[in-house]
Amino acid sequence: MLRLLYAVLLGLVGAGIVHIAVLLLLPVVSDRDAWSRLSQAGGLYAVLPLHGAEADRRVLRSADPLFQAVACRFDLADGVTHIRGVGHLPYWSVSVYDRGGQNVYSFNDRSSTAGTLDLVVLTPAQMIEVRKDLPQAYAESVFVEAEIGEGIVVVRGFVPDASWAPIISSELGAAVCTAE
Amino acid sequence: MILRILLFLIVIAIAVGGGTASVWYVLRAQDGIGALTVGDWTAFPSIGTPAADPYARARIARDGILPLGRAEGLAFIAERDSAGNRLRRDCDYRVEGATPTARFWTLVAADPTLAALDHGGRPSAVQSRQILRKADNSFAIAVGPRPAPGNWIRIDGTGSLALVLTLYDTPVTGGAGLGEFELPQVLRTGCDA
Repeated sequence: MLRLLYAVLLGLVGAGIVHIAVLLLLPVVSDRDAWSRLSQAGGLYAVLPLHGAEADRRVLRSADPLFQAVACRFDLADGVTHIRGVGHLPYWSVSVYDRGGQNVYSFNDRSSTAGTLDLVVLTPAQMIEVRKDLPQAYAESVFVEAEIGEGIVVVRGFVPDASWAPIISSELGAAVCTAE
Repeated sequence: MILRILLFLIVIAIAVGGGTASVWYVLRAQDGIGALTVGDWTAFPSIGTPAADPYARARIARDGILPLGRAEGLAFIAERDSAGNRLRRDCDYRVEGATPTARFWTLVAADPTLAALDHGGRPSAVQSRQILRKADNSFAIAVGPRPAPGNWIRIDGTGSLALVLTLYDTPVTGGAGLGEFELPQVLRTGCDA
């Protein structure tokens, strides 16, 4: 009887250790996270929809049905990432995520120069290079300095009612995501 | 010898089974660790930020979600009404009150996994720019299977229901006055017997 009690106690201590181990390992080994699902749907720098029928079931869905969203995976080892193209919509917002889906930076249309999306994601080292001689193409860009290698950019657009859906869809779909 | 092996197996079973089950349970619970509760509503303000706790990180990895950034918005989830009963899809509810400052907000009826409900291809959702308001700028939105005057979110079917209120471009996410504002009440007005 005492040995059984001892075994149960030992099991509970083990359960605590397993709990912590599973918790910390989940983000590392998960094949269901956003990056994995997006990589099944398309390559790096592909602008993938997260809404509507064209979105693969495996691709995560945008949570709010009154929003449409596109995502683009990037790797800063290829050079700085430049995302542009979304224009005058009722509301749009952008988030930069790291490889694990942690939100690194976000802003919305009120923060941009002309109400249009023009975002450059780069590492601090690349920022020093760009500062030396700012290319004309980046004159109106919002710079996001992030100490990340790979990451995901998500652009979300508000759809006030169904009549806006085609306009928002084509605006978001026309977004360009490139390594430069 | 057999007793010893049996005890060893018990230890392993409790450790592996209990450990994984407890992680599964904690991640599934909506009012888990790191939650901010305001009235009937719960939010995870730190989810997806570098300040997130391990539970929030695991939740992101498991569900493949890309949470809203601080400049984008904050989602509040209600799974119980003001009386503490679980929300059901065959009941009528009234969401009544006012929201904190935000550029706009959306109210979405969802299933327990937070996938939005729809009826005939139309989402079960309203947004703040299309609703009728009272003279004092507060509002009342009916949620239920039966049509209601004023603002109405149509839901069908049976089972559990969750309501998601997302505030967009709001100072609330900046941490200013977190926990010092009011959100609408979720009141049950009727139920199919």
